[in-house]
Amino acid sequence: MAEPLEPQAPEAPEAPAGPYVYDYLAAPNRQVVLPKTVPLPSLRTYQAEVAAAAAADEAKWQKQLADFEVAKAKAEAEGKDAPKPPVRAVPRKDDNDMKTPWPTEAKAADLLKLQELLGDKVEEIFEQAGERVCQVKKEAILEALKVCRDEASLKYEMLADQSATHYPAAKDFAFSIVYHLTSVSRHQRLRLRVLVPEGFLPDSACSLYPSANWMEREIYDMLGIRFANHPDMTRILCPEDWEGYPLRKEYPTVGLGQRDIDFRDDRGGVLNRLAMVKAGQMGINLKQPKAE
Amino acid sequence: MFKNEEMEINLGPQHPSTHGVLRVKLRLDGETVTKCTPVIGYLHRGVEKICENKTYFQGQVWTDRLDYVAAISNNLGWAEGVEKLFGIEVPRRAKYIRTLLTEQNRLASHLLWLATHALDIGAMTVFLYAFREREYLLDLFEAFCGARLTTTAFRIGGLREDLPPGFIKDAQVFQDRFLHCLYEYEELLTENRIWKKRTVGVAKLNAEDCIALGVTGPVLRAAGVPYDIRKAFPNAAYAEMDFEIPTRTEADTYARYLVRLAEMRQSHRIIQQCLDGLPEGPVMAKIPKILRSEVNEIYHPIEAPKGELGYYFVSEKGGTMPYRMHVRAPSFVNLQALPKMIEGRLLADVIAAIGTLDVVLGEIDR
Repeated sequence: MAEPLEPQAPEAPEAPAGPYVYDYLAAPNRQVVLPKTVPLPSLRTYQAEVAAAAAADEAKWQKQLADFEVAKAKAEAEGKDAPKPPVRAVPRKDDNDMKTPWPTEAKAADLLKLQELLGDKVEEIFEQAGERVCQVKKEAILEALKVCRDEASLKYEMLADQSATHYPAAKDFAFSIVYHLTSVSRHQRLRLRVLVPEGFLPDSACSLYPSANWMEREIYDMLGIRFANHPDMTRILCPEDWEGYPLRKEYPTVGLGQRDIDFRDDRGGVLNRLAMVKAGQMGINLKQPKAE
Repeated sequence: MFKNEEMEINLGPQHPSTHGVLRVKLRLDGETVTKCTPVIGYLHRGVEKICENKTYFQGQVWTDRLDYVAAISNNLGWAEGVEKLFGIEVPRRAKYIRTLLTEQNRLASHLLWLATHALDIGAMTVFLYAFREREYLLDLFEAFCGARLTTTAFRIGGLREDLPPGFIKDAQVFQDRFLHCLYEYEELLTENRIWKKRTVGVAKLNAEDCIALGVTGPVLRAAGVPYDIRKAFPNAAYAEMDFEIPTRTEADTYARYLVRLAEMRQSHRIIQQCLDGLPEGPVMAKIPKILRSEVNEIYHPIEAPKGELGYYFVSEKGGTMPYRMHVRAPSFVNLQALPKMIEGRLLADVIAAIGTLDVVLGEIDR
């Protein structure tokens, strides 16, 4: 019969290193990774990319053909079997129910009309995913909005949404501001876009579309773009004394404005007072000095 | 001698009839409001920033927390927006089920509006009646996706599951009795003298002001503009549905009440058509497990119970998360019209005006 095993004392767990309070400064999502590309949808950029990709593909194919000719000549000279001719790679077939919406040439009458009316103030017009986009010069946004609202064949009466995006990787601009216009009577939609650099004050749309008031305040609050001639350019969602602009890409998701509260701290002396009361009920005088 | 000075008071942020944490700074001359400034932001959680750091699949969970009484509408906007961004075609059965659930959610949202709006004005009974029906609808949502309010009902590309067994039968039970329930509410309110005194001619906002201020939804339709995104830019299966856009021309609180009740009748019609004509087939499109986007930007509006709910996405090449996500919340834009509606009116009308705008602070502050 085996002797009963002596109970072994469990090993004491190691005390965790570091402070009890979660260290937000060292948190992985405190580190900000700035984007390296500028995802600004544009027909011109897309066409340039497609042309570059096609040229690269063609160059690769020509090189394959040339290599094949060399290899064939070499094999003939050595009296071996001819190598296999190269096969041009076809794009891999995708059996998903997805059809990526690429930018296309502008065909909508509204966009063409807008280009005709605004002339060289329009930087680009195109369509993507069934949506019409018109990018105008940053100084001309108020004029473009006025044309959209007042021109009888356009009649975009409502500014449905206004928003902005931060592009830290772009060279000659920092933000894109988009205006989503709706024609309530004609059931049409249009997106106006301007690109503005840091420190530029775009004109406020409030005089034409009063609904822009809060939306522009939100853009200022979140991205720090100030609008010229706005009736009340103050923060709207964050407190007035908030520092930084949360939707800029350099703003971390964790850390800023975070308060580290250690609840073990008796900051108001509340716990101490409660302990005194409790001790008093039990007949103990905590205040009594100990005899030396 | 009487003192003749204006008084400034705060309505909210802790006030039951502001439906959340809305603070309205009011300047009063006696009982007349001379200036009104809504102060918002008490519920700001930074959903747009959070969604920039979540994948397209994870982000939908956050949309439940925007307009928490109409979470399915928010889910629909997110799912359809992402599908538009990637060019995903959803099966027809999934579209029908989405339409069905969204309309049931519209009923639930309007019932909550009716209950609280009537309660604010002083009619307690309607609250109990409306919550009875709303509970039934929430039970249906729970049967479908396991949650009553924070539903996350849809998936990118369709639905996770088909309707559970018995769902259609239970939904039909609701359909059969709901019209009578509507009749009960109308009997309590429509010709009620106190109700009419508190609502007729109160908080007017005419069509020009509505359009200039970007106000959408029942408030715009009560001003006589037949603008409904379900008809103007049909999404889901609304193009195949037969329904009308109820409008009124009085543009006051009473007209909005009538428009919303008529809208509930139309939602009832749409639900019936979905239940009757539910097509067979799969409910999920074939999509890759990881969605990698191309450079694109879209704005997708849908008709939420409160008005136009729009999702704006900017995507980068090869990205699994949105580069920028912005929500055009209907309550946020509609609340801008509050000063226009109540300046020069009585203090008691402020409560009616906040109720008739049907704002939810979760989506105003985001």
